[in-house]
Amino acid sequence: MTGVSKRFGSVVALDQVSLTVEKGTLHAVVGENGAGKTTLMRVLYGAWKPDEGTIQIEGKERSFANSHEAMLAGVGMVSQHYGIVPEPTNLQNLILGAEGGAIIDLAEAEQRASSIAKKMGFAFDWHAEASRLSPAGAQKLEILKLLWKDSEVMILDEPTAMLSPADSDALFGSLRQLVDEGRTVILVTHRLPEVMEHCRRVTVLRNGKAVADREVGETTSQELAQLIVGGAMVAPEPSPAREPGPPMLDVSSLTVRGAKGHEALKDVDLTVRAGEVVGIAGVDGSGQRELYHAIVGIVDPESGTVGMGGADVTGRSTADRLDGGLRIIPEDRHAEGVVEEWSLVENSSLGLQRWAPLRKGRMIDTKRRSEWAQRVVDRFKTRHGGLGLPLSSLSGGNQQRFVAARALESQPRLIIAFQPARGLDILGTADIYRAIRQRCDEGAGALIVSFDLDELLEHCDRLVVMNSGSLRRPPEGREKDRDAIGRLMVSAS
Amino acid sequence: MNWKLVALIFAALAIVAGSLMLTKATPMTAATEMFKGSLGSPRAISGSIREMTPLLIAGLAVFIALRAGLFNIGVEGQLLVGAFTCAVVALRAPGPTGAMLGAVSGMAAGALWAYPAGLIKAYRNGHEVITTIMLNNIAGYLTSYLVAGPFIAPPGDYPATATLGEATRLGNFLEGPVAVNWAIPIGLLATAGLALWLRYTVSGYELLAVGANPTAARFSGVDPARVVVRSMLASGAIAGLAGALQVLAYEHRFYADFSPGYGFDALGVALLAGGSAFGVIPSAFVFGALSRGGIRLAIYEVPKGIVGVILGLMILIAAAIRYRKVKTVA
Repeated sequence: MTGVSKRFGSVVALDQVSLTVEKGTLHAVVGENGAGKTTLMRVLYGAWKPDEGTIQIEGKERSFANSHEAMLAGVGMVSQHYGIVPEPTNLQNLILGAEGGAIIDLAEAEQRASSIAKKMGFAFDWHAEASRLSPAGAQKLEILKLLWKDSEVMILDEPTAMLSPADSDALFGSLRQLVDEGRTVILVTHRLPEVMEHCRRVTVLRNGKAVADREVGETTSQELAQLIVGGAMVAPEPSPAREPGPPMLDVSSLTVRGAKGHEALKDVDLTVRAGEVVGIAGVDGSGQRELYHAIVGIVDPESGTVGMGGADVTGRSTADRLDGGLRIIPEDRHAEGVVEEWSLVENSSLGLQRWAPLRKGRMIDTKRRSEWAQRVVDRFKTRHGGLGLPLSSLSGGNQQRFVAARALESQPRLIIAFQPARGLDILGTADIYRAIRQRCDEGAGALIVSFDLDELLEHCDRLVVMNSGSLRRPPEGREKDRDAIGRLMVSAS
Repeated sequence: MNWKLVALIFAALAIVAGSLMLTKATPMTAATEMFKGSLGSPRAISGSIREMTPLLIAGLAVFIALRAGLFNIGVEGQLLVGAFTCAVVALRAPGPTGAMLGAVSGMAAGALWAYPAGLIKAYRNGHEVITTIMLNNIAGYLTSYLVAGPFIAPPGDYPATATLGEATRLGNFLEGPVAVNWAIPIGLLATAGLALWLRYTVSGYELLAVGANPTAARFSGVDPARVVVRSMLASGAIAGLAGALQVLAYEHRFYADFSPGYGFDALGVALLAGGSAFGVIPSAFVFGALSRGGIRLAIYEVPKGIVGVILGLMILIAAAIRYRKVKTVA
């Protein structure tokens, strides 16, 4: 790939990236979230068209209109979220997208499937429902899907994110075997030990640019970590002069199982005190979401406790927690924070419908609610066409302003913000963080999850890092040391 | 001008006219006769209002479930058990007390019939359409059996309960050429109550939130499972009331094949009603009038099914008008 660029609106996702992968090798692509790894791979296998740049495979210049064309040319990708359909059998999943004709000969398919699997040393019950597969089994099936399509170039996006260490080792064993057969494997990952142990070459992406390309034998994981986060240290902001107050959030030995049954959160301890803005850094999928859900009260923890304002709220409903002053700036506002077809006024009380100022007993105080809606849109200057219009009439950034103002203006005691600046420009971002800071100065505590390390470094008092479900603290005195935090984000436990 | 919509309306009219051409009637006579049969005389209007009654109340039952994101196809079955229970109870306690007890027990029976579907939806994620269809079948056969066996009125040559005494029946609210039974003001009151409850109470707001976006509702401190169960109970109770009032106001007994499909027509009523409970009133009236008018078409050997065709097309057009995309302003 030479000089590949890709823009989404005004955002430059890839800026003149070149990537050369030698046939028959295992090549790693590393970088932070948003560095452009996945975008680059999607361009390679035809899901997105590059704005600039060319792709050559075995010397021939190729241009794919869609991923089907890429598949025919022998390029395949296993994405981070597996494309396994739960109800059909393993065999049906295997041939999905490459059935080879209108009529499926299942017996023949099974024979071929078994022979491919045997060569890889995998064993599958072809007639079992795919929903019964373990994460490792699903990953293996995904790899077989590529082999079924005779892919020569195989892209794996974060393949070990859901796997146990033993399964990961087995996976790399299989990948080695594929490479030995002359196939080419591109591994997108943030786990440096994997790179150091298994890959031949590594390319580092940062902010949409390829910043380094190294033989793995000639580099160290320290050098890579530095390349990934950008090397430069951010001067720590002057620490707040005031002493943090009593704990507003007290998470103790919290263990939560994820959707796939794995321990998504392992024995996490975390305290957020009044007056503090605490940031959680880490690559996506390290357990931040499960922690956020456990604090909000959407999932029940396996063990451990969640305390708010000194009271144990484990097992209490979300409604009770909201009543105690919990305010949420949700991760996915469309799914979790608004009803798009409702008016701005109706949305302004979502999550606050039982908040005393907006009701009279069991009735909604409609007059106060209208005034409240006005205050919500005024807070961050949300541009709107009328409070009675549906929320979907707002642009994404204005919806985010609306949702943030709703949480921050309603007397929060504990603010949980998941990517609070999502979709906002620099000024909007600064506005929202300033408001969070102001609430904390008035005695609230705030916990911020973001995948943008710079944003956290700039706005939080201290940072902790989530990595594979565990919470890690940077060493004493280096709470805002970019280097130390970068290493905690990507290193093995 | 929305050309697609205009084309759709013309296509709909063409289908209706075309299917009428296949029979002995011209579209013009058919339309005239249907009008005469439904609105042409005080008698016809009274008939339309009578047809409207169960559709209005059962329509509310479908409507409240729909607002909570549930498609309660089981209103038919809930209406049947409500009507049956009401008849049996009211026969044992004569007078106004009997009517009152009958209505309340009919509502309880309807709610009970909807309860399993609510529980299965809320805690086992079993789709309410499937479960309520099953419950409809059970309700239909069970009430038919009960009224043909244990509860049959002597001498027992027709599967029906005994007839309610005059004092237990629900009388007319308006007498005169256009008679209106008390069931109608009760239905209108229920409509207003439901509309205001949804609009002005916290629990109504939470029900709407669950229907519109269950995930956002959870993050807003609402337990969707609990709301689903309660909405199903409320929907079933209203459906039961529809059946009970049909017994108390018009039929005065329960018999096999009691409902000609009120519960199913109510689905159309609620869909046509749109976002407000008040919309159920005109919607139920249109359904009632068309169904009343359709009876006259039989004279011209036009099958009554044509009414269903017209109603179906109306729902399609209403849906096409309603679901327009909203533009982003900022």
